[in-house]
Amino acid sequence: MQVYTTDTPAARSGRIKVGIADYAVSGDESTLTTSGLGSCIGVALYDPETGVSGLAHAMLPEADDGGEPAKFVDTGIELLLSEMRAAGADIDRVVAKIAGGSTMFDFTSADGDGSIGDRNVAATRTTLDGFGIDVVAEDVGGSHGRSLELDSETGDLRVRSAKSGNHVL
Amino acid sequence: MNLDVRSLRTFSRLAHSGAEKAAGSLTTLAGIDTYVNVTKVELGTKSDVENEFAERDLVSVHIGFSGGLDGHTVLAFSPESAERLVDALMPGIDATDAEGELAESSLKEVANIMLGGFIDGWADYLDTTVDITTPTYVDDENDGPLDHVDAEGFENGGDDEHVLVFRNQLEAADNAIEFDLYMVPTASSIETIVEASGEDGALPVESFAAFSEMINDGANQASEDITAMTGIDTTVEVSRLSFVPIEGVPMSLTDAVRRGVVLEFSGTPSGYIAILFDEPSAENIASSLLPGMEGDEAMRQSAIQEIGNITTSGFLDGWANALETTIDISPPKHVHDIGSAIIDPLATDLAQSQEYAFLIDSTIRTDDDEFTCDIYALPDETELRKALKQLSPAA
Repeated sequence: MQVYTTDTPAARSGRIKVGIADYAVSGDESTLTTSGLGSCIGVALYDPETGVSGLAHAMLPEADDGGEPAKFVDTGIELLLSEMRAAGADIDRVVAKIAGGSTMFDFTSADGDGSIGDRNVAATRTTLDGFGIDVVAEDVGGSHGRSLELDSETGDLRVRSAKSGNHVL
Repeated sequence: MNLDVRSLRTFSRLAHSGAEKAAGSLTTLAGIDTYVNVTKVELGTKSDVENEFAERDLVSVHIGFSGGLDGHTVLAFSPESAERLVDALMPGIDATDAEGELAESSLKEVANIMLGGFIDGWADYLDTTVDITTPTYVDDENDGPLDHVDAEGFENGGDDEHVLVFRNQLEAADNAIEFDLYMVPTASSIETIVEASGEDGALPVESFAAFSEMINDGANQASEDITAMTGIDTTVEVSRLSFVPIEGVPMSLTDAVRRGVVLEFSGTPSGYIAILFDEPSAENIASSLLPGMEGDEAMRQSAIQEIGNITTSGFLDGWANALETTIDISPPKHVHDIGSAIIDPLATDLAQSQEYAFLIDSTIRTDDDEFTCDIYALPDETELRKALKQLSPAA
């Protein structure tokens, strides 16, 4: 059962909110938003030809058996792409902008593989590469949180952070 | 009665899909995009819930249900959210003109549609029929907000007995309208649902209640310690144990920037604690700990770390006693960031091994709201189960 991946109702307000372990696709000029990325990663995908765009907010790098797919980078991106394809996007044209994956704390549980944030960024690159999708802009790593807004009309990704203010990717 | 993680998951899923149905009906009815933010299964006392309604001046509509399941559902709004919702439903109507009567009836209609949809999912799951009563409008001028909810708790008697509350935070129209959908089933109805989902490895509900008491005591101690140290007269507004899908933990917080500390604790249980202040409260602390000094950023940070240390030990020391164990605390790490992003790495770390989390959250504040401190604790699920076992009556 999908607990947090909502069937997004048709956007009337022009803003679609993406929760954690969630994703959404827009075929019109809506803005997709997601907030509170710490070690989580935000993956914004955009087809400049059709304007179909998608935003995923994943928590962990690789899916385990039976896990909620939108929670993981690999399965989340796959799901997002298949929904974008259904909405008319051509994967060969899709480009990616990614943000998040920070390491805010040094937990004792972190093992030799690096922090979850770093692993999320690496898994994002690998997965996108597997689909032949280029990362055209990024704001990843560091030790601070981020919130995102993807403008489906232009493909602009606005990144807000408490420390470095707002900027556009 | 026993509760286990599996039945709590069933509860959580039923409540969440019910709330999504309810949100969908509001989207259709009013043309306002409505989302379910977080679904929590909370264990608290009836007076905890009442206090929250009173503190937040909530306006609410109540609908009872009976038949295969018995209890109450409540749709609760802040007065501002209620006003905005009425405006969205009936644009152009001067709400003041009809002295709120029209507003009241349209809120009742919304509640009828939303709560009806919410309850249907539960009835379907249990393969039973549930009847709902006509909506009752309750505002803060009435006496107890839960007067209509004669929820018998597990211990059968008094306002301080524990009830299980299903709480869904919904929001609409870009956060302009926020409301909570509560469901409070009777103890016997909870038993019905638990039986339907099986209770392998279940723990007596009394151990959850005992744990909840322990959290309360911890929050009170932390509040006393803050007051003793800063001279700011604080009390505990709310303190509760809830069961949440792991991704719902950071979603319980907003985008607002918070300052505070994060610590790891280890023992039985181990986990994470975040003590977070809004910016004015953090300023308050810095100036009460550094009176008459123009503190630089480093001094402020150390003042926040100091109070974080004191608050954490106040909060956790009682646990170690009650659980007859030792709990070690790591040095506090100063944070100043987007609230939900601070909690995100803590939840994500636990998400590697668990899908749901027991979230402990307490709010300590002054009467005038000038100072608020939120404590979030996220114990490891397996270890918390050990701790709960320790608290069970048979142990």
